[in-house]
Amino acid sequence: MELQVYGYKCRKCGQLHYPFRMVCKKCKANEPHGFDPVPLPKKGKLLTYTDLSTLPADFNVAQLTLGIVELENGIRVTGQVRIPKPKTGMAVRINIETVRSSEFGKNLGMVFTAA
Amino acid sequence: MRNVYVVGVGITSFSRLEFPISEIAAYPAMMALQDAGNPKIDHLYVSNMGGGRVNGQTALASAVVDTLSLTPIGAETIENGPASGSSAIKTGFMAVASGLCDTVMVAGAERMREVNNLEATDFVATLTHPLAEYIYGVTLPSLAGMFTRLYMEKYGVTSRHLAMVAVKNHANAMLNPFAHLHQPITIEGILDSPEALTNNPIVADPLRFFDMCPVSDGGACVILACEEVARKVKRPLVRLAGVGQATDTHCVHERENPTDLLAVRGAAAQAMKMAGIKPSDVSVAELHDAFTILEIAESEEVGFFKKGEGHLALERGETALGGKIPINPSGGLKGKGHPVGATGIGQAHEIVTQLRGEAKKRQVKNAKIGLTTNFGGFGNNVVSLVFKRED
Ligand SMILES: [Zn+2]
Repeated sequence: MELQVYGYKCRKCGQLHYPFRMVCKKCKANEPHGFDPVPLPKKGKLLTYTDLSTLPADFNVAQLTLGIVELENGIRVTGQVRIPKPKTGMAVRINIETVRSSEFGKNLGMVFTAA
Repeated sequence: MRNVYVVGVGITSFSRLEFPISEIAAYPAMMALQDAGNPKIDHLYVSNMGGGRVNGQTALASAVVDTLSLTPIGAETIENGPASGSSAIKTGFMAVASGLCDTVMVAGAERMREVNNLEATDFVATLTHPLAEYIYGVTLPSLAGMFTRLYMEKYGVTSRHLAMVAVKNHANAMLNPFAHLHQPITIEGILDSPEALTNNPIVADPLRFFDMCPVSDGGACVILACEEVARKVKRPLVRLAGVGQATDTHCVHERENPTDLLAVRGAAAQAMKMAGIKPSDVSVAELHDAFTILEIAESEEVGFFKKGEGHLALERGETALGGKIPINPSGGLKGKGHPVGATGIGQAHEIVTQLRGEAKKRQVKNAKIGLTTNFGGFGNNVVSLVFKRED
């Protein structure tokens, strides 16, 4: 089964959100369970990034590249960038992998690679 | 609403302080009490972000009120990330303005150097979105790095402009005995020389080591009072004339225009509106330069310069001591230091000192109106204050 990250679509007005929120930012609908999960696209473009050299202690790497991607449907997401020489505006693919692990478990999240 | 005045201020050095967090809050509070001639305090507000997590001290205000032998007055701890200090001042303002209290003490403290730098950075990073940011390794420096890249591409800001902010604020900090960094730096040393990459390594590209504020311990205090009390205190009269606050999306990626800091714009506009002033009336400002890029961006958002032109004003020297609108004469977070929960009160301390004409070598001439901007999160919760000299 392919892993998937979901956006949250307002049942009243159709506005898509990521990450989850309780009240729609557009129409302010505030019914409980007012959002339908919708799979997010796996393609987008890199808006910005940074090569980070001071990482929290549970990362066992010297450097990590983080970035913000605008997906094909206009939703933006933050994730890890695994591209040797990234450029803003470049096309990327979204992969779901382990992004952080500690003695308490693993977090799955988005890793961007060149499309 | 009643007018609210600052009748006393106090501060510690911002550096490494080997004292319990309650004493780091209480020491500047004692200084402020003396400064104000020991008025009777009705309520105490203590700002702090990490006592519970970093120092194992929750409910800090309960400890501080007793350390100061102020029991049984009301006391509470106020946490609003790195804007905790200004939020506590806002709370004190509301208490006096409403008539609930005549005199309140607002003390802030942080002790971050009890842990190593990586742990301190991780502690601050817990203010980011837990699932959409934090799990990836997002820290405040990384958000600032991504913001800087966009700012450079869009407005032509360069590493040289960022270094100019650092050089200016380190020079100002040299004139401030309470500042964390007493280390003069030059563009040559941190940017142009063969050793620059060693002296000033890249941390969150394009941001380098000297684009980041230090991790500091420190405390600061202001005492606020109504006019009747303030008139009896034999100190220059400074009014807290404007208070503004605005918020923005928790995730930075959700902002429509990622180079805008709308909460800074909103908070400063509200504070200036309440004070009945416009940006050109401000004689001195303390802005939240946790990263050099933020001083440039905030100088635009508060209205001193047009969007995208802050770096040009910096080039012209307009933000230096002696310039048209001196920014961060204290050294700012960059040079003076950033004990997160105390930072906003530290900014207020500097502005009051400037408006009283007591800033000595770093005194801004004829300072009559001062503005602070205190940035919680990466611009998602911002408090701005306007102070006016009134006698
Ligand atoms: Zn809706």
